Amino acid sequence: MKSIFFILIFFAIGPEIFSQGVLEKQFNYAKKLYNEENYFDSITEFKRLLFFDSTGKYKYTADNYIGDAYKAGSKFSNAIIYYTLAEINAQNFNDLFKAKINIIRVNILRRTTNRALQLLDSLNNDRRFLSEKKEIYYWKGWTYIFADEWHKASETFALTDSNKTLQELCEKVDKEKYSVIFAQIISHFIPGSGQFYTGNYLSGILSLAWNGLWGYLAVKAFIDNRIFDGFMITNFLWLRFYNGNLQNSKNFTEEKNLKIVNKALKYLQYDYVGAKP
Amino acid sequence: MNKILFLLIIFSTISFSQESNSAKSLNLFSPQNIKKFADYLFCQHDYIRASIEYEDFLKSGYNDTAAFKVGMANLEMGNFSIASKKFSNISKISVFYNISKLEYLRANFRTGNFNYYRNLYESENLNRDYKYFFEARELYNFSYLFSDITLPQKKNFLSSFTKEEQPRLNQFYDWKINPPYKNPVTAALLSTVIPGLGKIYTQNYSDGIFAFITVGLLGYLAYSDFHANHNFRGWLFSALGAGFYGGNIYGSAASAQIYNAKISFQFFNDLKNYLEDHNYFVPLINFCK
Repeated sequence: MKSIFFILIFFAIGPEIFSQGVLEKQFNYAKKLYNEENYFDSITEFKRLLFFDSTGKYKYTADNYIGDAYKAGSKFSNAIIYYTLAEINAQNFNDLFKAKINIIRVNILRRTTNRALQLLDSLNNDRRFLSEKKEIYYWKGWTYIFADEWHKASETFALTDSNKTLQELCEKVDKEKYSVIFAQIISHFIPGSGQFYTGNYLSGILSLAWNGLWGYLAVKAFIDNRIFDGFMITNFLWLRFYNGNLQNSKNFTEEKNLKIVNKALKYLQYDYVGAKP
Repeated sequence: MNKILFLLIIFSTISFSQESNSAKSLNLFSPQNIKKFADYLFCQHDYIRASIEYEDFLKSGYNDTAAFKVGMANLEMGNFSIASKKFSNISKISVFYNISKLEYLRANFRTGNFNYYRNLYESENLNRDYKYFFEARELYNFSYLFSDITLPQKKNFLSSFTKEEQPRLNQFYDWKINPPYKNPVTAALLSTVIPGLGKIYTQNYSDGIFAFITVGLLGYLAYSDFHANHNFRGWLFSALGAGFYGGNIYGSAASAQIYNAKISFQFFNDLKNYLEDHNYFVPLINFCK
């Protein structure tokens, strides 16, 4: 009696096991292609798996893999579509959170900062993810890094406790960065001082000298009652060099800041070990 | 008890036969499943993958629908020469033969080599027996608007289009015959007479007014300086004024050229949009109902 029962069970579920085997094989094949960084074919095979997987067993995982593969190929919009599908097909809060974070990470990468912050805020306000606050802050910090807001990034990483490395890096970058507004303001009062502030001493001296010369000649012309000459020198020479000095101080500051930021981003790209967008 | 066992056996047998069939069909790489998957990709607008899958499927034997859809996928991807080749290979006995010929012409039209396209169309010697004769002729006549060859008489040109299409085509025809270009020589001459007028002629109003004021002011300064015997300043402003005056003449001619390029771009853009809206006069086949 017992053996008949087992035979029946085998006949009933045997084919099911067999068919699952085919899908599992396909899943492993697609995963292998993904691991070999053959993203195009991996997407094809995951899509094939999804198409034939009538049980929906692989929906979430395959959608996630397709999203990852599209992301690796910088097809960000497609990646978001598949991460959103993964979000829809998530079976538990963990998967749901992971899918939402993946969408945020793509938004960080493609610098759609407002969208990333909006999604992070909605995650932060979602009571289901109270235990994930630290991770939410972590990605918020990264959002600010990509938005070039290092001070905010540093403050946000401070809330994650565990990420001292990123917090310190952001603090360092924020301190090292020059203030464009400050450089321009001091250049308004003392031409060339903005260049001095960014360490471009030669340019600062030249700027100061030219402005001094044309300023002197213009003022002298006005004092000597040569009003027309005064206007001409002021308009065509002094103001020209004065504006050039303001522009220069802005350009030098931005150039310096770019170098500082690029150095930090290079570190993050090649040497930082933690999770990255 | 025996009854229960009997029912279980019947149930499991049915279950077995059903599942084994589904298991059999779960050969993901069987030709039929490849085609099913390709159809799915095609409807998802993933044309590159759809085309690869259809090509794979076609290795198992010729199928005109798949062959036609490879052409369509390539057309959608902008691979016009490949699409053209695929459409030209559709068998004469296929139900897609007639539409393929039309798609073949469209693919060649879309390469942008209109002379080649026109020669191709003429070599086809299409007559009224051809199912899509009128659609093909519409696209052929439309190609006149893209090329530099002489347009036919308006009546002949418009006759190939439907009554609904004619008013817009009439506008395109008029534009092509008499484009609202601005003449660079006229613009330069106008600015020679009155500085800035050439720019106003090319609808560059702010530049025109600025040029008029600048040249006028410099001329006045030169005149008043000469008048007051300030010869150096007089020459200085004369030179500056002359520079602005000459520059404005040259700028007016350039402005006319820019104006012409802009409206020409707008015209060809309108033509392209019109064609897109009308699917290049090709009847739509919906494979994804």
